[in-house]
Amino acid sequence: MVDEIKQPAIPRRGVVKGLYDFLLRPEASVIVVSAALVIYFELANQNFLTNANVQTLSQFVAAPVIIACGEIMLLICREIDLSVGQVFALAPFLMENVHDFGLPVPLAIFAALAACALIGLIIGLITIGLSVPSFITTLGMLFLITGLTLTISRGYPASTAGGPLLTGIMGVWAYSEIIWALIIVAIMHIVLRHTRWGLHTVAIGGNIIAAAEAGISINRIKIGNFVLTSTLGGLTGLLEAFRVGSIDPLAGGSNIMFLGVASGVIGGTAIAGGAGTIIGGLVGGIMLGVLQDGFTLQGINAFTFDIVIGVAILVAMIANIHLARLRGGSRA
Amino acid sequence: MKGTTEAIRAERVVKTFGTITALAGVSMHVSWGETLGILGDNGAGKSTLIKILTGYHQPDSGQVFVDGRSVELASVDDARALGIECVYQDLALVNGLSIYHNMFLNRELLRRGPLRLLDHREMRRRASEALAEIGVDIPSVEVEVGALSGGQRQAIAVARAVYSKARILLLDEPLAAMGAREARLIIELVERLRARGDIAIVMIAHNYAQTLEICDRVVLMQHGEITFESTAAATSAEELLEIVRREYRAVRAG
Repeated sequence: MVDEIKQPAIPRRGVVKGLYDFLLRPEASVIVVSAALVIYFELANQNFLTNANVQTLSQFVAAPVIIACGEIMLLICREIDLSVGQVFALAPFLMENVHDFGLPVPLAIFAALAACALIGLIIGLITIGLSVPSFITTLGMLFLITGLTLTISRGYPASTAGGPLLTGIMGVWAYSEIIWALIIVAIMHIVLRHTRWGLHTVAIGGNIIAAAEAGISINRIKIGNFVLTSTLGGLTGLLEAFRVGSIDPLAGGSNIMFLGVASGVIGGTAIAGGAGTIIGGLVGGIMLGVLQDGFTLQGINAFTFDIVIGVAILVAMIANIHLARLRGGSRA
Repeated sequence: MKGTTEAIRAERVVKTFGTITALAGVSMHVSWGETLGILGDNGAGKSTLIKILTGYHQPDSGQVFVDGRSVELASVDDARALGIECVYQDLALVNGLSIYHNMFLNRELLRRGPLRLLDHREMRRRASEALAEIGVDIPSVEVEVGALSGGQRQAIAVARAVYSKARILLLDEPLAAMGAREARLIIELVERLRARGDIAIVMIAHNYAQTLEICDRVVLMQHGEITFESTAAATSAEELLEIVRREYRAVRAG
């Protein structure tokens, strides 16, 4: 019964179709808004597109985008990690402590990342093994890890070690952090779109029963994504520490976690799971960065600044959810 | 020849859950190329029977034969290994994924090389072929399953089972909650599969007229027993209704 098949409305060909397809993508509206913001800030303040400011902008963008890469994978399979910002703060102290014991800096970096991976594993095992919602598990871990960081650091900042080449690669060079972010985005995009791991992550979030019936090992995928998120959180913390040159026990925190989650959601990742893109996380992060940096240049009062950012995030998220509905998909 | 060699047979299968007897010694069989309809009210034991054939439940007593050999279906995987696949009502499809991703869910084809990347192109090609082969007409296998109608989704689920080498196909109420045109889509699909002659189909159904139209043979289940069996040609919806009505009267009188 060929004539009964419902064809989705297919628009005209050529440029119009290309534009239509582009606008249907979850990332499209964010790219359009970001471009508009860049134009606005450049007009309002001639310094926006200078080399120095683009460098600053890249630093605003890099950290939330790397965090978003992990959170997007978790959100897609219907989990979340609230403690990633605390792992961010812990990782550099772990590195410094291991280094103080005599391990060279590169090995200390690996040791710190391994410890972060272990934290992710613990979060995953508690969440899956004891059937605790990850919201609760990671809320607990949030406090636990803060305490751990404060204990290890005794509440004092420290400074990073390492030669110029290593610290350069790890964040001191002007654009090294954003390059890290772009490489991680590229890798995670391939993982999400072109590997079984990514496909199964989406399947779990979309229909966990169907995924189980197909024989997908749900626990392995979920725990793996917790490990990934914590490790990326730790890496981001290390990059920021090297860039700034000092380690702050109160760095990162819930702020960086929310920026990561917001980047993902603004970029089209469904809070309810089953849908999302890494590229969306990147453009979401860029939009937040443009806002933060643009308002800073404008010299807006810090209190007003948070209000504006809050409203902007809300508007972007609401727009995204409703545009998703307009697109006619079941994703929200 | 069609309908001559036995595909699957259940012998005096008993299944109890606590004090409830779901199946009180049920015997049934289906041949290759044959379609059997199982009719009956809710709680008659239809689903329990299907779940024993898929290895989801294990019988308390009785035996199951596949290809004439006694088999023990200790798990769903055991049944799958023998080519028994069930399309449940929930269909087990992921709405947010494309048709071809659903058809290859957890059986993905990978490109050569150490990166083990998904071979989207080959999966698209094979999914299109598989759907065309059994006559499911879909504009593109890249469409998300969530955008399809109920009948199309059902067809995809059936196509997936067939593609994964199902020889004994169990359909759990494939026509439930489906409009006439949608049902037509499935009825024609089942007829095409039957015409291949190498697949045995068992379907649970509620609608007597539709079941008689699709199936070669029907059995009526009541209270965990098969109370009536006939070829579709030799009975009618009226006769089946009458049997069920008689039963109601007996229950009310008793």
